[in-house]
Amino acid sequence: MPDLTLERQFNAGPARVFEFISKTEHLLKWWGPEGVFLPEHNLSFERTGPWMSVMQNAEGQRFKVSGHVTHVDPPKSIGFTWAWHDENDVRGVESHVTIRLVPEQNGGTQLQLSHVDLPEETAESHQEGWNSTLNKLERLL
Amino acid sequence: MADLVQTFAALGDPTRFAIVERLMNEGPLSAGELQDVADISAPAISRHLKVLRQNGLITRTVDKQRRIYAVAPDQIRNISDWMLSHEAFWNAGLDRLAAALDED
Repeated sequence: MPDLTLERQFNAGPARVFEFISKTEHLLKWWGPEGVFLPEHNLSFERTGPWMSVMQNAEGQRFKVSGHVTHVDPPKSIGFTWAWHDENDVRGVESHVTIRLVPEQNGGTQLQLSHVDLPEETAESHQEGWNSTLNKLERLL
Repeated sequence: MADLVQTFAALGDPTRFAIVERLMNEGPLSAGELQDVADISAPAISRHLKVLRQNGLITRTVDKQRRIYAVAPDQIRNISDWMLSHEAFWNAGLDRLAAALDED
């Protein structure tokens, strides 16, 4: 199964970044691609337990994803399970997300995201050349 | 995949993106009705419509004297499928997280 790993640097320190990746009020500012809104959500990674979000795009299509928060270790890491629901609300293959925050010498934070146990048919296997194209579309959406 | 890269490239132009967005919101329209999406000449709009058509994003049908343009559902669905790509999901989200942290 393809695994996805991403790294990002942020200027803010780990404590601040952790708030932004765990508290509902902050998660709602960045969860999902630009242009989607969240008509339903239970998004908090401050505690273990269930989470879910429904994302709706400009054409009215709804995408539901849900899982269980498995660990919360502020300001270092968060783990949760992840699965998309189909149009009949049947939950698909479960994958696992871990977000780790590593302090940097300049006071910033490196965020390391891993998303593993993904189903084969998703696009992660097509790595080369994807990012620039997706970044372009990101700006448009 | 190559198709989708082409699709995104075609959408990378603001006028073409505006045309697709307009057709998605308002349904099929004639070239004349699409003229005001950008402050450019009718031939320029025609060229953009041609690029979108060649990339399968829109279709053209002829109704009497009028040429009617509409979004092509299959290709738009491919873009929706892209939304389910986890790499895209996280990259887009982390971009927004960076922006939210900067604004804070």
